[in-house]
Amino acid sequence: MTATPGSNQLLAFIKFLRGRDIPVSPADTLDAVQAASLLGYEQRDTLRDGLAAVLAKSSHEELTYREAFDLFFQPAKNEAQQTSAQEDASAARESPDSGEVPAGEQDAVGDSLEDLLQGAAGGMDPALSELAASSLMQALQGGDEAALSLSIEAAAEAAKVDQIQMFTQRGQYTRRLLDELGETALRDAAIALENSHPRAFAEVQELREDLRQRARDRVERAYLVHAAGDTEDFLDSALAEVRLANISPHQMARMRRLIDRMARKLASRHGRRRRRTRRGQLNVPATLRAAAATDGVPFNTHWRHIRKKKPQVMAICDVSGSVAAYAKFLLMFLYAVQDVLPRTRSFAFSSTLGEVTEWFDSLPVEEAVTRVNRVYGGATDYARAFLDFSSLALQDINKATTVIILGDARNNNSDPRLDLLAEIKARCKRLIWLNPEPRVGWGTGDSAMLPVIQHCHIATECNNLKQLERIVDKLLSEARGR
Amino acid sequence: MDNPLYPQLGDIDAITTAFGAAGYICTPRIATVVYLAAALNKPILVEGPPGVGKTELAKTCAEVIAKPLVRLQCYEGLDEAKALYEWKYGKQLLYTQILKEQLGDILEGAQGLKQSIQRLHSTGDVFYAKEFLEPRPLLRAMEQNDGAVLLIDEIDKADFEFESLLLEVLSDYQVSIPEIGTVQARSKPMVFLTSNDTRDLSDALKRRCLHLHIPFPSIELEGRIVTARVPELQERLGDQLVRFVHAVRELDLKKAPAISETIDWARSLVLLHANELDARLVHDTLNVLLKYEEDIIEAEDQMGKLLKLADVL
Repeated sequence: MTATPGSNQLLAFIKFLRGRDIPVSPADTLDAVQAASLLGYEQRDTLRDGLAAVLAKSSHEELTYREAFDLFFQPAKNEAQQTSAQEDASAARESPDSGEVPAGEQDAVGDSLEDLLQGAAGGMDPALSELAASSLMQALQGGDEAALSLSIEAAAEAAKVDQIQMFTQRGQYTRRLLDELGETALRDAAIALENSHPRAFAEVQELREDLRQRARDRVERAYLVHAAGDTEDFLDSALAEVRLANISPHQMARMRRLIDRMARKLASRHGRRRRRTRRGQLNVPATLRAAAATDGVPFNTHWRHIRKKKPQVMAICDVSGSVAAYAKFLLMFLYAVQDVLPRTRSFAFSSTLGEVTEWFDSLPVEEAVTRVNRVYGGATDYARAFLDFSSLALQDINKATTVIILGDARNNNSDPRLDLLAEIKARCKRLIWLNPEPRVGWGTGDSAMLPVIQHCHIATECNNLKQLERIVDKLLSEARGR
Repeated sequence: MDNPLYPQLGDIDAITTAFGAAGYICTPRIATVVYLAAALNKPILVEGPPGVGKTELAKTCAEVIAKPLVRLQCYEGLDEAKALYEWKYGKQLLYTQILKEQLGDILEGAQGLKQSIQRLHSTGDVFYAKEFLEPRPLLRAMEQNDGAVLLIDEIDKADFEFESLLLEVLSDYQVSIPEIGTVQARSKPMVFLTSNDTRDLSDALKRRCLHLHIPFPSIELEGRIVTARVPELQERLGDQLVRFVHAVRELDLKKAPAISETIDWARSLVLLHANELDARLVHDTLNVLLKYEEDIIEAEDQMGKLLKLADVL
């Protein structure tokens, strides 16, 4: 397959798609190139439909894809509109000549740029003669779109515009692109004309503005194609490592999207494994073993079956001031994977403990979280919380239950009643303690974390989204018996 | 690069015309994807709400290219014994019986255990031979000599493990049978997979397919579909009916009526010799369109509005 200009553009488009969170594998790329060469680049709609079949793998992705396609392959600029605009411009240029300006005045200061340039060929101002000779000027003045976009592309390559990485670099790259285009000649001309020929000056300024706009568009497009996705990824990955308590309200939207995406990923990784029915399969080893008692005659048959376990998760969250933010994200995460983990019960406590499962069932997660914070916020009392929890839910804990406790284990120097914790541990399948404090801080001051560790199956630090994702991942694989 | 097996699918416009003649109105989108699937030899994964003509697309395709349609209906618990192949246990059992009877002849004159076993080996192993193989839909589609249409219906209903089983079939058009080896497809079939989106399919499966999402059609398109399917329907009634259905889809329903229901309704109205839609007629026949009691009640409540949107009042 040879690389045609079309396929280069296609590759750029695929990069663009990847930046917009549509995963396109190299194999997909090959398919896309093949599909495009079959369909041709002439019919835009056909190409769009065809590439959609290859590149967008779900209806969700297809929406993004269509937007991206329209943005990337902008319909060729309306020719008619272009020419009419040009006519307007030239008409405007001519109209002053046609009479209203007094003739004498016009002679004195009003030489139009065109006249000046023609005069310049005869040799008057070095800046002007240079300008007149430049192909850029000719293209600009003649309204030669093709030549203009060609020289912009060439300049963009020379200025390495496609290496743009951050939004903030746009100004810098625009300047570089303009320099490569030879805009300095225009600027020099403008300076030379500023005082002597106001009308020509205005025209030069207009041309400069036009050129600057084109350069800005080109850089903007380069940013969208080559960097927008990277920047988004960069922001996302940075956010995933920020301490959850430091997440500011304006980052919440991005945070929610990130959690949703992580949850989707986890859900699809764990959710697909459905219970497999193996009814009707003879368990040969077991049958043979049993047959030994009846002298090799398989009198009692044994059948294969997988015992169905109902995984259950109980999340106990400290919602006192110091850890409330973490509880919020843990709960948001847990409820985002409800497809895979349907039997989640949640409890919140600070001084007293109560079950909040119902709120999460009936309210949107966000709202439920604020409500939890409002009702149960306050000073922490672990002893009371464990006591309340034991009377509320201890009898429901069985060997399929995973208990997650989120808290900093700082109990204001009173006895946290770890014997109750030990009892919970004894009854459940797994007890996980998540502590938002860094590990080095455990056991300092009034932290009872060190004795707590002994009563947990897993005790781990959890203060950013990445760690949270890892925990939920682990939780899912264990709860679902893998 | 056109597929020589399916010359009917060598051109987008030809596909639209041929499918149209067979009573299936293609959007350009559908025609493009079918064309690409034939040219690139790739399966099509058709997604969309129930009743928009996903299965019908495969059937029509089989009709257009005049090849047999092999259909595999997926359900939970579907496994390779039902999808790929199975051994004919009965025949195998008979074979061992025969072998047992012939054993005396084969082993005649053999000295000691070692020689007997050697003799036995030399008879060749026919126990796992193709003669004992019972082909199931996937293998059957591979065994067609000059093309076929393989329809794997409602793949989302099958277990996740089954998807992995399909991967080999979909990407290389071959089946591995441990006892025999790899069986290559004699000719590459056109493969359609349909999914109702009840769960996400694996990326591996999606990657091997062309993706086609069929949404509910526009008023104009649905009008054409109904006319193609129920030609007896009068133009004015057809117009009202399609508008009415579109208005109904806007309601908050448990199950929105699909194209198949529109067509059923149109057929019912033709049977009732109706010339025009009116409140009584709609009231009497609404159960053809809506399948849940609460949906019917909801639609009855909004009848005035719906009829107005349908241009009846």
